[in-house]
Amino acid sequence: MGFILDGLESESYDREYRDRDLFARILSYFRPFSRKVVLVAGVLALNSIAGSGAPIAISRALDLASTNPTLLTLAQVSALVLILGAIAWVSNLVHQWVSARVVGDVVLKLREDALQATLGHDISFYEEHPSGKIVSRVTSDTQDFSDVVTLVVSLLSQILLVGFLAVWLVRINAALTGLLLVMAPFAIVVALSFRRVARRVTQNARRVTAKINAQIQESISGITVAKAFRKERSIYNTFDQNNRQAFRVGLRRGLTLNTIFPIMGLSSGVGVAVLMYAGALRVETGGLSPGDWYLFMQAVGYFWFPLMSIASFWSQFQDGLSAAERVFALIDAGPVVVQTASEPVERLAGGIEFRNMRFSYTETEVVLPDYSLSIRPGETLALVGHTGAGKSSVASLIARFYEFQGGELLIDGRDIRRFNLAEYRRHLGLVPQDPFLFSGSVGDNVRYARLDASDDEVRRAAMHIGGGDWLEDLPEGLETQAGERGSSLSMGQRQLVALARVLLKDPTILILDEATASVDPFTEAQIQEGLREIMRDRTSVIIAHRLWTVQRADRIVVMDHGRIIAEGTHDSLLAQGGHYAELYNTYFRHQSLEYIESVGG
Amino acid sequence: MDAREFSLEEEYGYNRAGPVRWILSHALRYPGLPILLFLAAAGNNAAFSYVQVFVGRSFDLITHPGWTQAALLAAALSITAAAASQGLTGLMRNYVAEFIAQLVERDSRHELYVSLLGKSQTFHGRQRIGDIMARATNDVHNLNFMFSPGVMLIADSLFNLLIPIILIGTIQPELLLVPLVFLVLLVITIRDYARRLNPISIAMREQFGVMNAGLAEAIAGIEVVKANVQERHEWSKFTQNARIYRDYFVRHGEIQALYWPMLVFSLAWAVGLFHALLIWQAGRISLGQVVTFVGLMGALRFPTFISLFSFDLVQLGIASARRILELINARTELDENIGGISQPIRGGVTFDHVRFSYSGKQVLRDVSFNALPGETIAIVGQTGSGKTSLTRLINRIYDVEAGRVLVDGIDVREWSMESLRSQVSTIEQDIFLYSGTIAENISFGRENATQAMIEEAAREAQADEFIRSFSMGYQTEIGERGVTLSGGQRQRIAIARAFLTDPRILILDDSTSAIDSATEDQIQRAMRRISRQRTTFLITHRLSQIRWADRILVLRRGEVVDQGAHHELLTRSRDYRRIFARYEKDEGRAPGGLAAGTAGAD
Repeated sequence: MGFILDGLESESYDREYRDRDLFARILSYFRPFSRKVVLVAGVLALNSIAGSGAPIAISRALDLASTNPTLLTLAQVSALVLILGAIAWVSNLVHQWVSARVVGDVVLKLREDALQATLGHDISFYEEHPSGKIVSRVTSDTQDFSDVVTLVVSLLSQILLVGFLAVWLVRINAALTGLLLVMAPFAIVVALSFRRVARRVTQNARRVTAKINAQIQESISGITVAKAFRKERSIYNTFDQNNRQAFRVGLRRGLTLNTIFPIMGLSSGVGVAVLMYAGALRVETGGLSPGDWYLFMQAVGYFWFPLMSIASFWSQFQDGLSAAERVFALIDAGPVVVQTASEPVERLAGGIEFRNMRFSYTETEVVLPDYSLSIRPGETLALVGHTGAGKSSVASLIARFYEFQGGELLIDGRDIRRFNLAEYRRHLGLVPQDPFLFSGSVGDNVRYARLDASDDEVRRAAMHIGGGDWLEDLPEGLETQAGERGSSLSMGQRQLVALARVLLKDPTILILDEATASVDPFTEAQIQEGLREIMRDRTSVIIAHRLWTVQRADRIVVMDHGRIIAEGTHDSLLAQGGHYAELYNTYFRHQSLEYIESVGG
Repeated sequence: MDAREFSLEEEYGYNRAGPVRWILSHALRYPGLPILLFLAAAGNNAAFSYVQVFVGRSFDLITHPGWTQAALLAAALSITAAAASQGLTGLMRNYVAEFIAQLVERDSRHELYVSLLGKSQTFHGRQRIGDIMARATNDVHNLNFMFSPGVMLIADSLFNLLIPIILIGTIQPELLLVPLVFLVLLVITIRDYARRLNPISIAMREQFGVMNAGLAEAIAGIEVVKANVQERHEWSKFTQNARIYRDYFVRHGEIQALYWPMLVFSLAWAVGLFHALLIWQAGRISLGQVVTFVGLMGALRFPTFISLFSFDLVQLGIASARRILELINARTELDENIGGISQPIRGGVTFDHVRFSYSGKQVLRDVSFNALPGETIAIVGQTGSGKTSLTRLINRIYDVEAGRVLVDGIDVREWSMESLRSQVSTIEQDIFLYSGTIAENISFGRENATQAMIEEAAREAQADEFIRSFSMGYQTEIGERGVTLSGGQRQRIAIARAFLTDPRILILDDSTSAIDSATEDQIQRAMRRISRQRTTFLITHRLSQIRWADRILVLRRGEVVDQGAHHELLTRSRDYRRIFARYEKDEGRAPGGLAAGTAGAD
């Protein structure tokens, strides 16, 4: 049943798909269940008939009373009421039973489709859409979308019920029915205007409440500091003010929303009085039997609530369509990275060549205007430059996370666009700045690169990093639980896990984005030993932030605004001065032993 | 005695013995309101029931020929009046419930807050902010829902059942037979329904959470998923969860479909009709009274749906009340030792075979060291090695399990806590700054700080330069409405704050990372300045700070595996050497690279 207080919180959403198309698409998901849907429709019709039949039966019973009925007749009439009630109940049971299955299956299919499409999207999609929104589209919006159909079906059944009753009533007395129906627009108008007010109040309240909650949060977070400095009184005053404001806002909203039902009850009661009066006049002239008179008054109750629901139907229908659109937009988002072929990638030597590559991340910003770089198999290459120089883009392009607009990217002389991406990526090892771990054990996370690896292989990979000392520092070694997003481990430990993972994978090409956040010196030492290990025997492209890295690299490439402005070893570049020397001074100098020694005294 | 550090002049005394009593004491603080609520609910249902009574009477009126217009009008007006009272009392009931709900929310949040302010620093040093926040927002809000709509619907349902039945009784006591039997069956079938539904509702909700969390994780880690080509694997994981959810959803729908109470109601209604007709035929009641009876029994339909939902809300409210009370009633076992030693601290700190556990885990095993006044002690170790806990024993956020902590040769437990704490300052990892001006934040601990003092402190803390770079300078607002500061900037403001409060012992938990050498220079300088002339405990990653500390404590798994000055440790400790290893001659370059043997540039 469409409920008048539902859906007041949803924000407006700019719609691009047409209602018709959306609805058709939604229906297509229900097509495999068409028999069950027809059953539900039939059963709902039955429910409406039985539902409208009960008051009619009662009014018949009352009229029967004036004809001096026998006990049997009375029993028969009561039995009729009973049977109608039972039929209504059974048909409702079937309706809910079958609907639950249909809705459950439709939502499941929709979720599966949505996730499949989502997982196929490229990284640029994920950077555009916050992950929380993506998740809610797959889990919540899919549910809301199925509610649209439920809503429509429920509305139809209510219209049916009202319709049956109206038809019956018209046959009895058209004028009274007219009077009854005249109240309908009034009910709808009341409901609509209430919803408009309620929606506004709710959204205002939400904004204000969010602000007040933030203030209260700050007040509570600051208690420790306040106590440390003995400033309790002043922050109490701020809190008290905010608390009172929250009270006022909440009260205003609550009172507004709580007005509708009493008013509905009142107006329905007045409707009964009016009909009672008008009907009584007709009973007097003999145009209406007392039973039918009572039927008209009962009808007010039967009409009123469905009418109010119908009023809220349209906006809830729109909300449901918005939810559907969000899901379909998720599925339909076109891929940006397009492979032109699907060539197998069995073995790679690890040679990478950028030829006059042009890459824009958005339409306006060109990140790499004309990039050419050749990396030998097995070379350790460090990329340095200020933020925004294009270093991460270069690394992401090698991983084929983005599509480029001009030029070529060749891996072992082959066009990267022709590769079967899944096979290609098996030859890549990625270590990002803040490695992501799944909840599960450390061992599970290391194994993620090769799910079929044996426990021995996992352990061996882990032991190769810094001599395996880091495992001893974990409370349960490889069995230690990483926690949600790896939060049970420190950032340094997460890096060590990522290194072990790459080692297990043993890829030909390594892409490493060095972290800038500080890690305790012991873990840092282990990480460096780990890095030394994984950079062996493979092509390593490193976005360098460690002095240690640039010192050991075979070659350093200095980038600025998407161009390579210098190349060489650390010593040669430093001797030259220029941009590299400036970068050194800004990012690396404080890591040097010289600096450490100079600080003292 | 319940020691409190903050209290208001007139505080209302709530009953904190248990959650239910506490909630009641809140609701009854304004005794008029609950009474009004019940009166309104009763009135509302009475009015609705009387509509049925008047309809029945009108039926009798018009079926007996010879009635007057005036009588008809009177009947219509009485129905209208009843409907009007129904509306008004309904409004009153809703409004009063809403008032109570909002008042309880406001008052309980206020009570919690005042109680938190009154708790000691020990308590706060141990609490997790997120936990307090959840109780102050969510749990407090659940109390609101408990009353509106929770208690309101329960009160309404109660009278919705009671009053029609009473009225039926006044028509003709024998009529009560069917409604009362119905009531008994109703209670039985509803309890059965709840028993069947609840576990599935809970399981379904939990499964939704599982499904959601699993998906959220996969999406958050999408780069890892794609880099390792595990899209299929993740899809299977999710669909497995989604299928389980679907099964619960279907089961939930099946149970809801089999809602016996509704069938019982329909049967009772029909049987009741028959019973009433029999009594009418026997001449004991009028047909109009049959009409009233049918209408009153119809009224019994409403409470059947709502009752379950409202009980849930009440249960939730009580659970939340329990959590809030937990905080309010919490006491810290450390005694403030008001009569303890109170004197200026010189700054010597000694740990003597200290052992410390937290939540059942052994955090510090056997820690001994000695720090002379004015020394800078660097504490290094991995996450979880016990660094932070160690520092919390100095200002008695925690007490030791075994061994002693001495300040100036006197056990910290013999110091007056007030004296101890006022001379020991901590600069935490997550620096909290108020939304206010920079000047206000710097002078936070020193009431009568002049602008000159504030600027001097900022200069020492190497913050003056960046403060002046803002257009409003020291009057710049920070926080939501103002500028956002970087980690390094916040740290320097906290250091400036510490300059003004001038503690004898400073604990600096330094975990900001170095982005650029210029800022790094400034932070180093600020940290060196603040460390002068006071004993400083430095939890840091910065090699430059470690190198130049007077003494370094190396912690591993709760033990001090080594301690001493830099050059001592270099010769003695393998772990320590490893940290500085990159500065030794490079061994083992990658084959395929350039010629080996290039030493470090410096």
